[in-house]
Amino acid sequence: MRKRAVFLVLALAALSLSLPAAFTKGDVKVHSLANGLKVLLVEDHNVPSVSLYTFFRVGSRNEHTGLTGVSHFIEHMMFNGTAKAGPGEFDRRMEFRGGSNNAYTGDDFTAYTDWFPPAALEAMIEMEADRMQGLAFVPEVLESERGVVASERRMSVDNDNDSILNENVRATAIMAHPYHWDVIGWMSDILNWRRDEIMAYYRTYYAPNNAVLVVAGDIDPVKTLDLIKKYYESIKASPPPLPVTTAEPPQLGPKSVLVRKEAQAPSFQVVWHAPNAKDADFLPLDILARPLLNGESSRLYRRLVREEQLALQVGGGTQETVDPLLFTIEVKPRPGADLEKIDRVIEEELAKIKGQGITPQEFEKALNGVRNDFYRGLQTVAGKANQLGSYEMIYGDYAKLFTVMEDYGAVKIDRIREVAVKYFTENNKTIGKLIPEGGAK
Amino acid sequence: MKKLVLTSLACVLAAAVLCPPLTAAGRTLPAPEKITLGNGLTVYVLKNAELPLVSFRMFVRGAGSAFEPAEAEGVANLVTTLMAKGTAKMDAEAIAEALDFVGASLSFSATEEYAQASGDSLAEHFPKLMEIAADCLTGPAFKEDEFAKERARRIDALKAAKDNPGTAVRYYFQKAYFDGHPLGHLASGTEVSLGKMTAQTVRDFFARHFRPDRAIAAVAGDVDSAALKALLEKTVGRWRNPAGPAPADVIPALPKPKGAELLLVDKPDATQAYFVLGAPGYPMGDRTTPQATIMNTLWGGRFTSWLNTELRIKRGLTYGASSAFRAWVPGGIFQASSYTKNDRIGEMLDITLGLLTKAVKEGFSAEEVESARNYVQGQFPPTLETNAAKASAYVRLAFYKLGFDYYDKYIAAIGGVTPAEAKAAAAALLPRTDYVLVVVGKAAEIKPLLAKFGTWREKKISDPGF
Repeated sequence: MRKRAVFLVLALAALSLSLPAAFTKGDVKVHSLANGLKVLLVEDHNVPSVSLYTFFRVGSRNEHTGLTGVSHFIEHMMFNGTAKAGPGEFDRRMEFRGGSNNAYTGDDFTAYTDWFPPAALEAMIEMEADRMQGLAFVPEVLESERGVVASERRMSVDNDNDSILNENVRATAIMAHPYHWDVIGWMSDILNWRRDEIMAYYRTYYAPNNAVLVVAGDIDPVKTLDLIKKYYESIKASPPPLPVTTAEPPQLGPKSVLVRKEAQAPSFQVVWHAPNAKDADFLPLDILARPLLNGESSRLYRRLVREEQLALQVGGGTQETVDPLLFTIEVKPRPGADLEKIDRVIEEELAKIKGQGITPQEFEKALNGVRNDFYRGLQTVAGKANQLGSYEMIYGDYAKLFTVMEDYGAVKIDRIREVAVKYFTENNKTIGKLIPEGGAK
Repeated sequence: MKKLVLTSLACVLAAAVLCPPLTAAGRTLPAPEKITLGNGLTVYVLKNAELPLVSFRMFVRGAGSAFEPAEAEGVANLVTTLMAKGTAKMDAEAIAEALDFVGASLSFSATEEYAQASGDSLAEHFPKLMEIAADCLTGPAFKEDEFAKERARRIDALKAAKDNPGTAVRYYFQKAYFDGHPLGHLASGTEVSLGKMTAQTVRDFFARHFRPDRAIAAVAGDVDSAALKALLEKTVGRWRNPAGPAPADVIPALPKPKGAELLLVDKPDATQAYFVLGAPGYPMGDRTTPQATIMNTLWGGRFTSWLNTELRIKRGLTYGASSAFRAWVPGGIFQASSYTKNDRIGEMLDITLGLLTKAVKEGFSAEEVESARNYVQGQFPPTLETNAAKASAYVRLAFYKLGFDYYDKYIAAIGGVTPAEAKAAAAALLPRTDYVLVVVGKAAEIKPLLAKFGTWREKKISDPGF
């Protein structure tokens, strides 16, 4: 049961070159309530099930020192009682009606995901509307949930070497911007958030004018909108949250971080500052990532895993974010592998791309991969709901989902070399290593 | 909900009277077309043109890890990986490039009872995908250098797995519970078994166990059935049975724990302790499945289950606690697991064992059982939403000979489970004295907390194997 997981890497399944005939912009009915709540409705009777997704524009980028991880904690508290419904009531009522739910918090936004039979629609809308502003934050419940999140951090970071390194690399590469810390937050903050700070944060960001509601599946859009109006219209808008103004200053030289820890196998990661999702350089970098490190035919997989046999796995790439984040290459080295050599191989492959770019064959392969991922992301009503809401959060417009294929198609192959030269520089690079010490070999 | 249940019941009755079992039109799963190829391979086909995607699934009976020679543990999964690492026509690079170029995915893997092929692509690239799949099935090269690379990679991956206690505890549990039984074979193999294996072990296992007369396949998606039949004949239709007799495909009866069998694995750097508890369950397709499913849903199968409520929701001891039944043809097991800070593991195990006793003695309320029925029924439809899910369902149902109307019957039966039946399922299936319990954690801190549960066998995480 991986419930309420922190999404450390926002996996917006990427975009497209041509759209599925069965899902077009015309299939999305858009409404805005007077209080600023934006509503997207998609009628799809493929299976007798409804996906109700609520997105809030709040994530770890809105946090500050002392309150790191609080966005994710509020996600947990959203299941722990309102003025009207006691702790756990949300889950009990929902499961009684045949529904289940989850939620995730990322760097930029938080999403609440409900899946249920059509007959539960009104009850679900009522409960979602209730918790948008009605959370109780009962002190004993809050303390218990603090323990849950501490356990989540121990499981997902402290007892996972790759995640420990990931957190160290991020905090080394990013100096000023709140992307400096992981979504889960620092353990000392988790243990010390004050109830009044948590509640003030909730009041700031949980408001209809900071949210998007997506309902997809076995619904009647007219009746669904009536229900949404019935339960949401009385919720008041809040003053718009202050913008995040801290910008990451340019990196002026190479950085590195070394973690020594008891382990059987080392970990290795290298990152470069990269543009945000809306930047003109983002798509060329996203295309570049595929022939570089996606799949067994990629350049780095061939060199590191197959030819030199230095690694067990290679992964990474861009992340679609509101503010500039990182281009990541993550390598799982074989125990005893020479980490300097892994770094050299990566630099050699990047040098080739900076010199000659990628081949037309690789370019076409990348675009085929983009297209496949796009369709696969839209196979389910839950997938459609998630994509529409994520586009609202990242690009400010769900309709981008239906045009982004043209943007990919418009990228010229020469741009791949250009962005490689621009971003994969020595001064822009941070390298991270976790080296086993003590214990067993 | 009541309407769905009644309709499904009517459908089950009609199907039983009017339709042959394998072609009954299901309400939850549309009836597929059945194609039999020249080589005897059965392929179930469903046309769905909503998106330009196609999924292919295939099981090969008797080619899973439970059929490995004991000294070749891990060979089944190694075979499946190496099938795509070079054939008579293409080397590993060419296969990877051809698949990646069209954005298709093709994987071969082995679980306990069967080997499996999974392929997904855009409709326009499906012929290419099937051509490669057939090439891997009919002419894998199993070259020495590819074998050596993959074996070395696996040995290292097993070491890395021990760095994650949540992963490691499952491996240790599988070994502790099945001790010597074929279901205890780890798909990954062990450092010891991999060390002894040769490329010839791989070739021998493939030659004996991979046969079309043991395979069942399905295709779902944007396909034209006439063109598809021709494509299948030309590709997987080329696959021939090997000359020798088919090897055994029967798994012996499962072991039963006697008393509390306890294993502590010392991982000195762990800040949390992880446990898995297991006991006998029931065989795949057993008639107790609906009652057991409702009982498990309430005990540890969903977020508001007793186990998660006590360990996570009320006490904040853990991020997750759950239980499930795992079922194979000869039998199954019940498994519960969670984790917590080192100093709370004793309390966590006390609560877990207490809840087992409580379920057996007290059972569940009418409201709880109604909630579980609604939950299981309400969550079911999305599990068959995609082409891939439907293709997998056809293959799974045919493999276990459950019939394509199985889910209709199952969903209807779920609607009829009573509190008395849920309690009876708890009494029959939840362990109170006989179980296997494995804990991975920092022994120096947790050993004193575990002493009261009995005598623990001890291992170090750095010892070879699991």
